[in-house]
Amino acid sequence: MKLKVVFAIIVCKALRLVSRLMHRGGTAMPGRYALKICPQLLSVLAKNVQTVVITGTNGKTTCSRMVEEAFEREGKKYFSNRSGANLIDGITTEFVINSSLSGKNRCDYAVIECDEAASVRVFAQMQPKVIVVTNLFRDQLDRFGDLAHTRDSIKKAIGSVPTATLCLNADCSLTSSLADDMPNRVLYFGMNRGAAPNKEKAEISDGDICIRCGHEYEFEYINFGHLGGFFCPNCGHRRPEADFAVVDIAHQSTEGSSIVMDMQGERRMVTVNLPAMYNIYNAAAACAAVCAMGMDKDAAVQALSGFKCGFGRMEQFDIGAGARMMLVKNPTGCNLVMEFLSNIKERFSLVISLNDRTGDGKDISWIWDTDFEQLTALSGRIKSLVVSGDRAEEMRLRLKYAGFDENAIVTERDCEKLVEWMKGEDCPVFIMPTYSAMLDIRQVIVKHCGGSEFWE
Amino acid sequence: MELKICHLYGDVLNLYGDRGNIITMKKRLEWRGIDCAVEKINPGQTASLAGCDLIFIGGGMEFDTRLIADDLRAGRAAELKAAVEDGVSLLAICSGYQLLGRYCQDGKGVKTPMAGVLDMYTVCGKERMTGNYKFVLGEKSGGYEVVGFENHQGKSYLSEGVEPLGKVLCGHGNNGEDGGEGARYKNLFGTYSYGPILPKNAKLCDHILLTALERKYGLKELEALNDRAENEAFAAINARLG
Ligand SMILES: [Zn+2]
Repeated sequence: MKLKVVFAIIVCKALRLVSRLMHRGGTAMPGRYALKICPQLLSVLAKNVQTVVITGTNGKTTCSRMVEEAFEREGKKYFSNRSGANLIDGITTEFVINSSLSGKNRCDYAVIECDEAASVRVFAQMQPKVIVVTNLFRDQLDRFGDLAHTRDSIKKAIGSVPTATLCLNADCSLTSSLADDMPNRVLYFGMNRGAAPNKEKAEISDGDICIRCGHEYEFEYINFGHLGGFFCPNCGHRRPEADFAVVDIAHQSTEGSSIVMDMQGERRMVTVNLPAMYNIYNAAAACAAVCAMGMDKDAAVQALSGFKCGFGRMEQFDIGAGARMMLVKNPTGCNLVMEFLSNIKERFSLVISLNDRTGDGKDISWIWDTDFEQLTALSGRIKSLVVSGDRAEEMRLRLKYAGFDENAIVTERDCEKLVEWMKGEDCPVFIMPTYSAMLDIRQVIVKHCGGSEFWE
Repeated sequence: MELKICHLYGDVLNLYGDRGNIITMKKRLEWRGIDCAVEKINPGQTASLAGCDLIFIGGGMEFDTRLIADDLRAGRAAELKAAVEDGVSLLAICSGYQLLGRYCQDGKGVKTPMAGVLDMYTVCGKERMTGNYKFVLGEKSGGYEVVGFENHQGKSYLSEGVEPLGKVLCGHGNNGEDGGEGARYKNLFGTYSYGPILPKNAKLCDHILLTALERKYGLKELEALNDRAENEAFAAINARLG
């Protein structure tokens, strides 16, 4: 066994070195081979590391960065899977990189973002100290079947770690109910009634039906999607009280938000250094996670005001009159990005780049569940509307049916030309790319105006 | 002129962009000056299908299908059957298509009776059939090529008397064995092309709309639209499928 571990580590480190020498960012491949040699490698490497793992449909990366910032500020020895490789092979590679040849980790802590589909294998081996589930929404689901299946996977994964503290979204019935029948300690985070303006229920909603009895939920208030004060008139299942609750949003701008958060009974003013409502949720999740890891509330509060934008998530670039990249990957996330755009007062240009590669989900049906109709209300402020990516034509078609003039939509697939055009724009450019489209466009922007490579 | 569309089980069977089909039908009618009203009917609701010109049933998750089986038994099946026999247009997709058959058999071999509108049955297969695919519509349905995305584990088998909607050119279709895709019976169109099949297959959309308009108003032809964006979206994915 011991020999197998050492051999797997050597192979993994060697493959990683080779792939870096060849300037490939890929972190998944070395771990994949290492796991073939020693299938339980991750459990060996994670033994003496206290890990917080973050999963869920939206906000995994941003929440991870927020938690990471707290570790950084507190001077803890930690590592994370920043490269975004969030399946078991990529995560294993990260653990190997931070281990000696004998498998002893150099760090005491790890902040790991984990894909929902990988949670069963990852949690069982990693035995995390804290598990964060941000929310559950319909995603591009062809990778793992449907939403119920995804939820079942996470539930099963949690079942393998009874000692972990769960940080769950109180407002999401699909997420908060993951604690049902589990012995785990639970910290809920959420947004209380009155903190945000009440919304109408979305036309396409994922959490309508009581997870316990199948009756339709009623909502005291809705923050967005199906997140809010749900209760079941039939069996009484209702939103649990949040331990980390946003009670007021004092101020929101394109730079960030000021909020009041009730943290286990203590009220704090918190500055979130990222705009948009959904990042306030990510902030609440991060606070719960930081405290669950044993750090104090100040560490959490300071991390939120100090951290920098994640990779492609509201990331700003100094190009032309300024560009901002806002990753989109599913209807709810995309709707929230457009809601953010609707609060922008100045004129801007908009690029929507739709790919259908493995990292994006091969099925692009989700664009029809997304309310691009809300963009038409902004059309007076949109200078140019550009579609890009492998499925640019499909995106243009969606915008046509949302109410835009098809002849007013520009198609530009070539990332070099796209970035050239951005340089000359006299107004800010917002880019809404799917995952692999984000990588493609980002690479070209970074080449032109600097920024970090993706595996750093 | 006005078409009444019923989105049957719309709150339950609404996964994967089915809404794109409703949006497309509505827009393509409105662009021609034809009014369109869409009404959702969910399981347990007693609203009648009478007076509706076109029924749409989308795809959904497995546990929801059982909820629907109960509603079908409670009388909706007979009503659907009568509507289809009467020539009402019906587009059913994926699980919505499966539920029109006689029964669905799950992975454990348990059979759930379905609407019995179509002489067809569905059995849970071993492998999921997923990906972009392509089929050519039968003559009766216009003979056009259609591109879509399939994602199903159920394999459907039509009886002798039921025509498939089309012939698979690449991908799996009904069962990955006999080359058939979907079903066509009177003005019923069933297909495995889940989610937004109509937006980039504008000709199929118009063909279905025309069946309803012909029945109601005797219309033989639809005014042509500028379908540049539709045709280019079709061509882009068609080129990839070869
Ligand atoms: Zn209930």
